[in-house]
Amino acid sequence: MVDAILLILREVLEAALIITMLLVMSRKLSLTFSWAVPALILSVLFSWILAHYTYAITEAWGGTGQEWANTLLYLLVIFSFIAIAWIISPVLFTTTAKTEYLSSPKNRITRHKKLLFINLVSAVSLSLAREASEILIYLEGFLHQPHALKSALIGSFIGLGVGVSLGAITYYLFIFASTRLSLRIMFILLVFLCGGLSTQIARQLMQIGVLNSTTPLWNTSRIINEHSWLGELLYALFGYDSSPNSAQIIFYLIAVIPLLIILTASWRLSRK
Amino acid sequence: MAIKKLFLWILLINPGISFAEVPEFTIEIRDHLFFPSTLSVPAYRKIKLIIINQDSTPEEVESYELNREKVIMGGSRAIIFIGPLDPGEYPFFGEFNPKTAQGIIRAQE
Repeated sequence: MVDAILLILREVLEAALIITMLLVMSRKLSLTFSWAVPALILSVLFSWILAHYTYAITEAWGGTGQEWANTLLYLLVIFSFIAIAWIISPVLFTTTAKTEYLSSPKNRITRHKKLLFINLVSAVSLSLAREASEILIYLEGFLHQPHALKSALIGSFIGLGVGVSLGAITYYLFIFASTRLSLRIMFILLVFLCGGLSTQIARQLMQIGVLNSTTPLWNTSRIINEHSWLGELLYALFGYDSSPNSAQIIFYLIAVIPLLIILTASWRLSRK
Repeated sequence: MAIKKLFLWILLINPGISFAEVPEFTIEIRDHLFFPSTLSVPAYRKIKLIIINQDSTPEEVESYELNREKVIMGGSRAIIFIGPLDPGEYPFFGEFNPKTAQGIIRAQE
């Protein structure tokens, strides 16, 4: 049961962080949570498709299908995050109050409400789909072992409960913080998440031999081990890797640079 | 366009496609155990690992040290490229059965 708790919690942690972050952002920007329903429905659908067709996906393109599918999912989530960051960025430095900004006809959030909705749905449903499909595949392995299935299911519910609770605590911590502070923290998290997802793409490409694995640039496993809880948490937050190589760093920067450009442009615009 | 160029540039400076022969090694999963549980491979070389899951249940092969993670369905096989590795030991495990599915890749000169 402990194995199930740890495995599910590991899968749920990143998804819980993403959902929490976007819920806080919606609340702070006086947006409804209407995107959450289609996002959850689509995540169930996508995760079922991924789990059900895992054999076919894995076998595709000479056995590299799983990695290409993951790469596509990560890419789509990164694009969604960048779009969300671009839409909300003016609020980070607006000199007027948030309500004044949102009521002004020129504000970017109201003008691009539909685009924001689509990207919120896409980011959440695709992030959840990959994690949930792994949980489905894991539980599917117990279908023929009824005695072990019960234990795995209980462990899964506990893991899910802990993950959701951590998300809820984080949500309320941010809700009590000021709008500007919480939105700025959200933006920083978006930057780290995009970077982390991008290093995952590099890892997928190295796994199938498209990119070469070079010697790690550094090794911090003695300071923060990826096996540890702190390592797991940092992995969920920043895509922490104790021994990244040059390709991963380059991929990290490729994802982070557009967000830093958006941030700088918004800051310069607010000063005009 | 710029992103496309950058991606091509990365592929050029870090090409995974090599004309040198890549040594292949096979690991089997049986009864939630890896066979062999310790695999010796040459250091400083790219390696092609073929992992065959003989069990009827899926397994997720993961290694923090090798930076690899792949789901292998029951009765199927998967290919994972690793290395070039410095000499040393690199543990890996089955995430779905971590108590039993444990293995080590030993890179030696």
